[in-house]
Amino acid sequence: MNNVESAPKIKRETKNTIRVDFERTPFWERVKAKLLNLYTLKKVVWYLFRLLLLLGISYVILFPFFSKISSSFMSKEDFVDVTVILIPKHPNLDIYRAIIKDNKYFEALGNTFVLSLICAAIQTFVCMFIAYGFAKFKFKGNGLLFMCVIFTLVVPHATLQLSLFMKFRYFDVLGILNLLGGGVFDGLNITGGVTSVNFINTNWPLYILSLTGLGFKNGLYIFMLRQFFRGIPDELEESAYLDGSGIMRTFFSIIIPLSTTMMITVFMFAFCWQWTDNFYTELFYTTAGQKLLPDIIKIPKSLDTNYAGQSLYSSAITNTCGIMIIAPLIVLYLFGQRYIVQGIERSGLTAD
Amino acid sequence: MNLNIDAGKGGKKQKIQLDAPGKKKKHNASLESKKARAGWIFVLPFVIGFVLIYIPIIYDSIKYSFNEIKILVGGGYKLEPVGFKNYSDALFVDTSYVTTLISGLKQLVLDIPSIVIFSLFVAIILNQKIAGRAAFRAIFFIPVILTTGLIANIDAANNLQSYMENTQGIDDGSGQTSTATQIVSVLDVERLFDNMMVGTEIVEYVVQMVNNIFNIVNRCGVQMLVFLSGLQSISPAIYESCSIDGASGWETFWKITLPMVSPMILVNTIYTIIDAFTSNDNQVMSYIARVYEQADGNVLSSAMSWMYFLIVILIIAAVAGILSAFVFYQRRD
Repeated sequence: MNNVESAPKIKRETKNTIRVDFERTPFWERVKAKLLNLYTLKKVVWYLFRLLLLLGISYVILFPFFSKISSSFMSKEDFVDVTVILIPKHPNLDIYRAIIKDNKYFEALGNTFVLSLICAAIQTFVCMFIAYGFAKFKFKGNGLLFMCVIFTLVVPHATLQLSLFMKFRYFDVLGILNLLGGGVFDGLNITGGVTSVNFINTNWPLYILSLTGLGFKNGLYIFMLRQFFRGIPDELEESAYLDGSGIMRTFFSIIIPLSTTMMITVFMFAFCWQWTDNFYTELFYTTAGQKLLPDIIKIPKSLDTNYAGQSLYSSAITNTCGIMIIAPLIVLYLFGQRYIVQGIERSGLTAD
Repeated sequence: MNLNIDAGKGGKKQKIQLDAPGKKKKHNASLESKKARAGWIFVLPFVIGFVLIYIPIIYDSIKYSFNEIKILVGGGYKLEPVGFKNYSDALFVDTSYVTTLISGLKQLVLDIPSIVIFSLFVAIILNQKIAGRAAFRAIFFIPVILTTGLIANIDAANNLQSYMENTQGIDDGSGQTSTATQIVSVLDVERLFDNMMVGTEIVEYVVQMVNNIFNIVNRCGVQMLVFLSGLQSISPAIYESCSIDGASGWETFWKITLPMVSPMILVNTIYTIIDAFTSNDNQVMSYIARVYEQADGNVLSSAMSWMYFLIVILIIAAVAGILSAFVFYQRRD
């Protein structure tokens, strides 16, 4: 009412614009009314609580990495010094040098890189192929076969440890080599008495498993990709078929370019999990075989661990091995994490 | 088109018209069979692998568990059937298998709710607007990629070796556990909950969960993202209409969010069970691995792991059965 009585004062008037002075509520009053109420308070407290919680959990995740990195630069004396906790007093690179030289770090790194790259590439491609078949084509046994995929995911590796080793130690498909090599009939001997192939200490077991979609957690990749492909509208492919494109061509020139994010996600999973895998590498490679990253986790000969702070020192060395193993992955993750988060969110892993 | 010319031609026309749908049907069928064939071609790699490698491996593994393996001197091996001896050995002769199995399963049952609840909680918090959300997501996903296999093994050895023995609490890389336990002292929490009339078991469970936070956080990366994708698929309009009707955040969570993410709860629970019991750092698995390493061609480990597998399959079936009764599916038309 008051405002109406005190009519707005005209401040300045030109041909087209008019500027009027209102009697406004003081600035401080407005701020008070807007911010100092229960609603805002609740929101601010909740926001701070969330931020604090997320920071705390991030700390829990990141702290081990920081402590591992800092302990890897410490010298021997720092481990017996009670005053040294996180920041080394005598920083040096002894541990790194010893691991690179004595444990042959770079040789192992190269071998694992080749193995992981080839396995991850094969797995990504094969899983996309298989998942596309499951997602977009109706054929008899589709559901049953997909149950088999889930079955391979559920059976733990340890159950198959022995038989996996035996399979690739005496590798033979359907007994063909056994038949040709004289294992069945005495007179028949084409392969010169060879009844099976020994694949231990080669990369073949892992390549074969990858090629057939049986590698580490491949069931999960197939599941994720299948969910993703189901989300692609069928009309897209139908219009491609109408335009005269075959099924394969449609897959390669329409579906694959659409699913780059998922491809990168699966590739990163496959690469990182193959990189840090110790189950298959311990199973298929004996000490006589090529050096892979799991082999470098040991105390280098040149480092003397026989003193008072021994247990701490040796665990710092093992941790440094761990840091050096995952260092390339950290770099990869920095570039690829965006795709992983997007990829998983888009795949929409739901129970239908 | 020109139907009424004369009777004879009309009859012919009719025949042609009858033919035409037949032809079309045939064409349809051939396209369908072509697509079915293409489907088979796409899944062929898996079929080959499953039939030629996986089934023989499974068959061998079951067979080994009923046999004794003798490695021959000239290469090759021989199997001696022993019936259920391996199974009875694992159950009655081996002193620590049964106790490891029971404590391992107990741990599994205790871990699952905490992992699922924690990941849902974090996903809900991450789904709301907050500064540095992308950075937090990237950090939360680090353990899935990096703390697996080898690194998990190193960490496990670490905790045993230095954290247990070292009472001074010097941070040497295993510091995460000691700092995590120092955040909440067991005594404080128990004193706090003593007067609240809740059972001591619940208090102990909560304390254990808090102290175990590092392990839980490490294991809930994938589950968290699954929940996130589920939460983002809920239409904001539902929340808006709820808030207009005067529902509080608490009510909205129980009436809207929880039913809408219940399919993801089912998926995540099953994923967590599978992940937990196939991972190498679980105690039953590491026990079986130790048994496997004891001797060449040790078949006892096969028998042990098949028993473990059967038990876990039963658990998965039971959990899936119970949970699916509560799952709410949104009808999308």
